[in-house]
Amino acid sequence: MTQPTVGTIEDFAGRSRGVQLLVGLLVALVALVGFSSPASADGESIQVQVKDQQRDASGKTDNQPVPGVSVTVLDASGAVIGTAVTDDKGVALVSVPGKADYTVRIDESTLPDGLALSAENPAEQQVTEAGFVTSKKIVNFFTGASQSESTSTTERIAQRFADGIRLGLIIAMCSVGLSLIFGTTGLTNFAHGEIVTFGAMAAYFLNDRGVHVLIATPLAVVAGGLLGYSLDRWGFSKFRARGVGLISQMVITLGMSIALKNFFLWRFGGRDKPFLDYTNQVGSKIGPITITPRDLIVTILATIVLVAVALTLQYTRLGKATRAVSDNVDLASSTGIDSAKVIRIIWIAGGALAALGGVFRGLDEQVSWDMGTALLFLMFAGITLGGLGSAFGALVGGFVVGILVETSTLVGVPTELKAAPALLILILILLVRPQGILGRAQRVG
Amino acid sequence: MDIGGVLENAILQFIGFNACYYAIAAIGLNVQFGYAGLLNFGQAGFMAAGAYGVGQTASIFGISLWWGVLIGIGYSVFLGLLMGVPTLRLRADYLAIVTIASAEIVRLIVRSVKFRDQFGGTDGLKDFADTFQQVGINLGLDSAGEYGFWFFQFSGRTLWNLIVGWSLVAIFGVVVWLLMKSPWGRVLKAIREDEDAVRSLGKNVFSYKMQALVLGGVIGSFAGMMLALGNANVQPDNFSRDLTFFVLTGLVLGGVAKVTGSIIGPMVFWGIYSLLDGFLRELVDKPVRIGDFRLLQSTDVGVVVFMVMGILLVLLMVYRPQGLFGNKKEMAFEGR
Amino acid sequence: MKDADDQSATEPVATPDDPHAPRVLSEYAKAAKAALAGVSPEPGVAKPDPILVADGIRRAFGGIVAVDVDHFEVQRGSITALIGPNGAGKTTFFNLMTGFDKPNTGRWSFDGASMDGVATHRMASRGMVRTFQLTKSLTKLPVIENMKLGATGQIGEKWWNGLFPGRWKKQEAEIEARADELLTRFKLDHMRDEYAGALSGGQRKLLEMARALMTDPTLVMLDEPMAGVNPALKQSLNQHVRGLRDLGMTVLFVEHDMDMVHDISDWVIVMAEGQVIAEGTPDDISSNPAVIDAYLGAHQGKTLLEDQV
Repeated sequence: MTQPTVGTIEDFAGRSRGVQLLVGLLVALVALVGFSSPASADGESIQVQVKDQQRDASGKTDNQPVPGVSVTVLDASGAVIGTAVTDDKGVALVSVPGKADYTVRIDESTLPDGLALSAENPAEQQVTEAGFVTSKKIVNFFTGASQSESTSTTERIAQRFADGIRLGLIIAMCSVGLSLIFGTTGLTNFAHGEIVTFGAMAAYFLNDRGVHVLIATPLAVVAGGLLGYSLDRWGFSKFRARGVGLISQMVITLGMSIALKNFFLWRFGGRDKPFLDYTNQVGSKIGPITITPRDLIVTILATIVLVAVALTLQYTRLGKATRAVSDNVDLASSTGIDSAKVIRIIWIAGGALAALGGVFRGLDEQVSWDMGTALLFLMFAGITLGGLGSAFGALVGGFVVGILVETSTLVGVPTELKAAPALLILILILLVRPQGILGRAQRVG
Repeated sequence: MDIGGVLENAILQFIGFNACYYAIAAIGLNVQFGYAGLLNFGQAGFMAAGAYGVGQTASIFGISLWWGVLIGIGYSVFLGLLMGVPTLRLRADYLAIVTIASAEIVRLIVRSVKFRDQFGGTDGLKDFADTFQQVGINLGLDSAGEYGFWFFQFSGRTLWNLIVGWSLVAIFGVVVWLLMKSPWGRVLKAIREDEDAVRSLGKNVFSYKMQALVLGGVIGSFAGMMLALGNANVQPDNFSRDLTFFVLTGLVLGGVAKVTGSIIGPMVFWGIYSLLDGFLRELVDKPVRIGDFRLLQSTDVGVVVFMVMGILLVLLMVYRPQGLFGNKKEMAFEGR
Repeated sequence: MKDADDQSATEPVATPDDPHAPRVLSEYAKAAKAALAGVSPEPGVAKPDPILVADGIRRAFGGIVAVDVDHFEVQRGSITALIGPNGAGKTTFFNLMTGFDKPNTGRWSFDGASMDGVATHRMASRGMVRTFQLTKSLTKLPVIENMKLGATGQIGEKWWNGLFPGRWKKQEAEIEARADELLTRFKLDHMRDEYAGALSGGQRKLLEMARALMTDPTLVMLDEPMAGVNPALKQSLNQHVRGLRDLGMTVLFVEHDMDMVHDISDWVIVMAEGQVIAEGTPDDISSNPAVIDAYLGAHQGKTLLEDQV
């Protein structure tokens, strides 16, 4: 049984130049081919991960690994199958004879001083036979003091709002492309979340090879733009030309989403990974809010980018053309706007913005293979709230959803369910004002 | 390479338990997506409703397993109303968004620590299916015994699951076939194409769409029940978005708006899946490397196969949207 | 040039298609014209026996008032044309009357019963049916299925009955017989089993009209029945519309084709900028200065009769 080297990235063999592409989908993907999947031994094993959830004072989960914890795996009859100690990645791998029911126990006395299992987490967890999706079952233990530390209510509220604003900015940034693509082509792109993930992956890939995040980020944005370009150039513009219907295109985006997501899982692995720069920052207090310099800079940068997007849409020729096409393609075309070109630009800009949002999200939380998928639903809630197809609606709606999601924990929504209020918003807005805050009612007939 | 073994596995998967509960789910999805043109991208949520309905009986409520069928139907009707009421008066995209979101929220809720006492958290539910297995044993199927011929060998337990599962497929297949032959089905197909026209003829379009959504969802919940009973447990993460998408892939593969398509599609899906999986595993005895770069190893195979299935869905929609059995003339979902 | 047609519609008109056969007015046509003869040609005038009455109907989209109709009546058993320049609000008014859109204010009644808050799908069972400007034949259903869809009160349209063919087969056979009869009348019987998508534009208009008749309506509302129909079919469409009246139905139609308006309508209502600006017999209208103004305002230098989309 080889020692797992989870998280390390093996050498990159060189960029694939073979561009035998299916609908341009893979164009941007080859850049990612260098991700190696997490190494693991053949045969069944249980990977125990011990993480400390409470790194920064803002209450955000940062999932730092906890090394040196003893782990025991028992079989159904209670016999010890194996023991291990977590490495500096907080990971311990125990090989097991096969897929079956097991009990995983950690020795709480071996936890580093000051850490204890969080209230919701028992020291013993059950693994069922069906729980082995692959040959390796991952079991997580989380440490961390209970959430309710001695912060005042005002501070908690302010803190949640600060986090909400950051999330809202990221959602808004990611959704501009999604909303405008809908507005101009009528397509609901279910693979948009994967563009977000792609941005974070591209930045992580470079970062992992020693490129500083500050340089990797603009490169990832370019990659995101290229992915957007490719998707339209070799994908959706062709589908439109072939007369593939909107619903078929929508199903195509589902297929792309599956393919891309599993591709990320394959090359990146199932674990969350942080960028190498700006980790473990100490938060500083600004008024009632504790925020790390990293998060502060992300907030400021995101604000600047979104203001720039809004100004571009409002005042430039391109922005006006974009809004015109989004409003009414035929009308815009008849006034001499090249709508195909505008649509292409929206795909590029939307892809670039989504990629940037992905990098920011990766900095904010961590990079994971399904991070965009998780955001997609919040994006949908945002653009529906703002008005499907409206660019400003996407900005406003995304922002509002971000704040609502983060602040919902204040009124007792468990953190693990904080996405649920977004669904509630979605349903309420559809019942009350389906065209959204900034959308216009459609004429019938 | 053991090609024979790979083929045998593929054939077993073709008629296997996975194909069977996928087929039930696809029959339900077909009512919504194929016939009524409703973009339900949350079939996994309905399946979870059924699975948790039966799962909760013995392990949470301590009541007879058979109540679970009613509970599961109840959950899925509720879910259908929740999804349908806000969206079915609006354009089709909204239903897609709300269904995909609802199914995800369902999964988050059932796996949450908060509702662990009701749904068992990430561990899911177990110890409820004995009653079901017992029926098979009472009928004379020794759960440990081997039944079958040639390479079609099943344990008594698997055989019992397959018998019940494929019986459900047959029942729902006939039900949907009858319905779609009836005036009710005619209204649905007309709504798929142009709901304003149907409304002008005095049909309550909203009600029909709701009926289709709920009926398809209830059938989907039976797929979840079957999954729960067959595995004798319920795992929250089985009901992810991908489950919906793969059921949809199976349906599209077979051909939408065709009962045969909705049954054979998922079978072919699992056949292809098994073939790819088998071949890749045979190829990847040892990790495939290019220089130092590890391209593929055995633990990647599952993921890579799912990736390929995603690409398959894209290619199908582009090159053969009517699937294996669909009628191009009546190509279903392009009216709205 | 077309002024030749302006001889009163009360007299038989020689039509271009059928120059040798002077039309004989049916009993129904005579009755309709007689009933409307005494009605003064002014906007919002009351009719002797109105089937549709609307009051204070107003609909605004954002700041633009699309429809603002004070009073509107349609005489039972007549063919009434609703005309007006583009953007006059005719189609919007149609949508409002048939429940496809909701007015901001106003009320209307049909056959004496208030239609406030009546759901769109109940309109048909009350006897009001409409067609659409852009034909909505269901192209992926066979013609006969299109027809059968139109029948109301079908037992098999409840899903629990649908499961048991025995319950609905008998009714289905009756519906099918009626559908075949209508198809024959509309000369579509040879296309019975084709997909509706295989029909020509004019045939689709006919199919839509025939399908609407399957609901057994008392008021048929046609939105631009002539749009996109080739000239050869127009005459036959005209006859079918007249035929509706002669079966005792009331017809209200929106039309740009002034030939048709003159040819078949008993009464004409003119809308402009959302309001009813004139009413009267076809002859009253063609000499009404307000109407000419409205059209000239929108289409400088064209005659009323040339106004086409």
